[in-house]
Amino acid sequence: MSGFWRRCRELFQRWQVDRESVLELEQHVALAAADKMRAGVGEREARRQATLELGSIEVVRERLAEGRSGFMMEQLMKEIAYAWRVLRRAPGPTALSVATIGVGIAVSTVLFALIDGVVLRPLPYPDPSQLVGISDTNVALGVDRTGVATGNIDDWRRESASFDGIAGYYSMGRTLSADTDADVVLTAQVSADFFPLLRVTPLVGRTFTETETLAAQFSSASAPVGTDPVVIIGHDLWQQRFGGDPGIVGRSLSLERRPFRVVGVMPPGFALPEAGVQAWIPWDLSGERPRDQHYLGAIGRLRPDVSVGQADQELNRVAATLGRLYPETNEGWGVRVSPLAEVVVGDSARVLWILFAAVGLVLLVACANVALLSVMRGLDRSVENALRLALGSTPGRLLRQSWIESLVLAALGGAVGLALAVGGMRLTPSLVPDFPRLDEVALSGRVLWFAIGVTTATAVLSGLLPAWRGAHTEPARGLRGASTRTTGTARQHGIRDGLVVCQVALALVLLCGSGLLVRSFLALRAADPGFNPAGVLVAPIFLDSQAYPTGEQSRAYYEALFTRLEALPGVRAVGGATTLPTSPLGPDFDRPVWPEGTPDERDRIPAAVRMVTPGYFQALRFTIAAGRPFDARDHSEAPPVVMVSQTLANRLWPGQSAVGRNLVVDYSTTGTYPYEVVGVVGDVRFRGPRSEPRAEIYLPHAQRPYLIMLVAIRSDGDPRALIPAVRATLRDIDPQKPAFGLTPLKDLVDATTVQDQQAMVALLAFAAAAVFLAMLGVYGVLSARVRERHQEIGVRMALGADRSQLVGWVALGGFRLLGWGALVGLLATWPLSGLLASFLYGVRPTDPITAISVFGLLFVVGGVAMCLPSWRATTVDPVTVLRRG
Amino acid sequence: MATEKLDLLILKTLDLEPRHGYGIGQRIEQVSRGVFRVTLGALYPALERLERAGAIRSKWALSENNRRARYYTLSAAGRRRLTTERQAWERSAEAMTRVLQADPE
Repeated sequence: MSGFWRRCRELFQRWQVDRESVLELEQHVALAAADKMRAGVGEREARRQATLELGSIEVVRERLAEGRSGFMMEQLMKEIAYAWRVLRRAPGPTALSVATIGVGIAVSTVLFALIDGVVLRPLPYPDPSQLVGISDTNVALGVDRTGVATGNIDDWRRESASFDGIAGYYSMGRTLSADTDADVVLTAQVSADFFPLLRVTPLVGRTFTETETLAAQFSSASAPVGTDPVVIIGHDLWQQRFGGDPGIVGRSLSLERRPFRVVGVMPPGFALPEAGVQAWIPWDLSGERPRDQHYLGAIGRLRPDVSVGQADQELNRVAATLGRLYPETNEGWGVRVSPLAEVVVGDSARVLWILFAAVGLVLLVACANVALLSVMRGLDRSVENALRLALGSTPGRLLRQSWIESLVLAALGGAVGLALAVGGMRLTPSLVPDFPRLDEVALSGRVLWFAIGVTTATAVLSGLLPAWRGAHTEPARGLRGASTRTTGTARQHGIRDGLVVCQVALALVLLCGSGLLVRSFLALRAADPGFNPAGVLVAPIFLDSQAYPTGEQSRAYYEALFTRLEALPGVRAVGGATTLPTSPLGPDFDRPVWPEGTPDERDRIPAAVRMVTPGYFQALRFTIAAGRPFDARDHSEAPPVVMVSQTLANRLWPGQSAVGRNLVVDYSTTGTYPYEVVGVVGDVRFRGPRSEPRAEIYLPHAQRPYLIMLVAIRSDGDPRALIPAVRATLRDIDPQKPAFGLTPLKDLVDATTVQDQQAMVALLAFAAAAVFLAMLGVYGVLSARVRERHQEIGVRMALGADRSQLVGWVALGGFRLLGWGALVGLLATWPLSGLLASFLYGVRPTDPITAISVFGLLFVVGGVAMCLPSWRATTVDPVTVLRRG
Repeated sequence: MATEKLDLLILKTLDLEPRHGYGIGQRIEQVSRGVFRVTLGALYPALERLERAGAIRSKWALSENNRRARYYTLSAAGRRRLTTERQAWERSAEAMTRVLQADPE
């Protein structure tokens, strides 16, 4: 407690404490003087002697203040207040700096929040680093990642020691109805160890028991047939359809017209095996299953001491063994084990990191701009600095003052930036709606620290040069400068020009990057997918085996549907296929095929199977490369026929005609027999422009009816206009099969390049910002140059220089800055654009057209930035200058 | 004058009775017979330092000639400090004297 109150007074009553000291000191001197007067000295002399003996009150007062608590803080506050006054003297440049830093910090903070939520933060499940996604791969067939074959999972579990568990799943839309409303809900059927492996407990109720799983038999992957089926529902579904009913457990709902008993509700945010799943049903995967049907999703939990790489190696050894044991199904098939977080996030991570790097560059340009403004402010103040040095201020003090100015600027910018970031974060979900894990993006403590870190870094970077420069003022030169009206030394101008060159270089790097992305995006959009999506509406139909147990019944449903749809006004063609290009819905599976009479089983080629109706090729405007499309001749009683993709035809019968040959398709459930090839379909890029054409076979739906069908409706106008009519038609035919997922095919096709679009738009915006800032720099430096050389210009004009010479002089300086910047930028772009390589389509990172157009753009914009300074140079009035000179 | 020495002198001076700054200076000068002359720049920083440390307390009061002056008083902590510092000083002064008076051998 001792001395505590004294310290408090020093902190909070500084002014009174100081006043009391002054009073006390004056009294002291007065008393001393009084003593001297008593000894006979005159009043003035006594006071003089006392002051001489005791020392100056002012000096003591300062010494006292320095010793008191909070002195450093007070000093800092004074300096900050001074910096604020200095900054306010130039409101324009200050506002510009604050806005520049603010926007830079806001954008980088929002991006960091995205990266933090989407990429960096572990998945919200227990021990997430042990969770992996597993997919099959086949290098020889060019299959990078595909579903896992059901038959292999049991062997994996038995033979590998790396896993605590491996679970399989398959998700698809199923019609769910409670009471009267029917709706399609993304439903995952999951193997027994799915929930135990994730170690997630339901919010309400429980997960599946072993008995429940064993009872859950499926006649095919899409048709559950077990007794007393059970279901777990998602939090959103529970809230929306059941009003969060606490007594939900035990209630019954109907999935595909079969009653399912609800046993649990998952917590909010549970998004496995994929985002959007709102219902889980058990699936007994044990027992004999085919090893050549790669459609199963698989996740695994590693044992605590096993790395992803080790698990991958071990599982591949197991897969190789299986390949030797079952060569006809497993040869050549390997496995890919990757962290589940990577599987969930996918390519979004790459986009984010590239944008993050880009925004870092923009922030650097912004720092350079702020530094430039500070340096120029410093030049304006070199006389003041010189004076302060001459009067005894130290370079250290000037340096600190300059730092504090940068700090104040950065702090203001940081505050603005944080406010903008908070607003920007609200907007983010609507800007990038298809990003994974968006609900996990938040203004967390980590994001806040990042913002503070960026602000500090900005202060340091933007304050470094000005501070260094300010501290190196030479008093004599500075003071002389005041009288001769020239400002700055060659070195100081070097710094200024260097900053602008850096800015131009950074802007050029960003321009090149975004230019490449633009070219790549245009190439993606121009790529021929092999079909024409314009004007096509896609209606996914998922019939259930409950109401449509036989092929006859589903055929009848589709026949009725097609007749009704074709009769709608504006409809040109209607066709259906089990899966459509670029649609994530519908089964996309492979079957081994081979020309009849092939001796070696190993020459079998896996081909993607599509069951299609005759109108399909017309509805999507496929090319028929040879032969004929399916038609009424290919009915259920007719001999079996097939159409093959160009790629498959070329592989099976290179250089020969495929039409008329017999192709054997191994369709496990119905046996193996030959089909006559009646036509060859032009190649299709099934998963978007980046995907390679595949080996595909088309079978007529009439001969091979299927419950699932994606119906394509081609109309004259906007396919969206058809939505109400299609909805009504579907409800009319079967009220328990409502419409869902009605989407224009164009939207699905565009979605395959949406990340390219996002990256391009964002990078373009960043590049535009960087160019704008760099041009501000060019403009600022040239303007300053004209201002400083006012007198020289005046003299030149008086000596007969004409305006074009003056404009030339300014422009030459400007183009020199641009030229150097472009050169440095180009050298920097070379290694950096390599980072974009994996992103580019149809354009090389060293694309000359991009480089040339970017150069052209830079110089055109640069020319605009030079206009005003050039014009100013021509308006100098020689008479005024000379008279003032 | 070294700060510890000045602190000790101030504490000792205040041990007898509360004084104002000028009084402290006068007293030290008188008792030391003019050897120690205390300037404002030494005295007041020392007083503030001692007060912050809790060794002395200050209070504005009326002086003998009826003017308001700040009077300094020794606190209990100050008194303890005076005792220990005084002992330490005496020990070192004694030692100093012994060393300086030692005869060459």
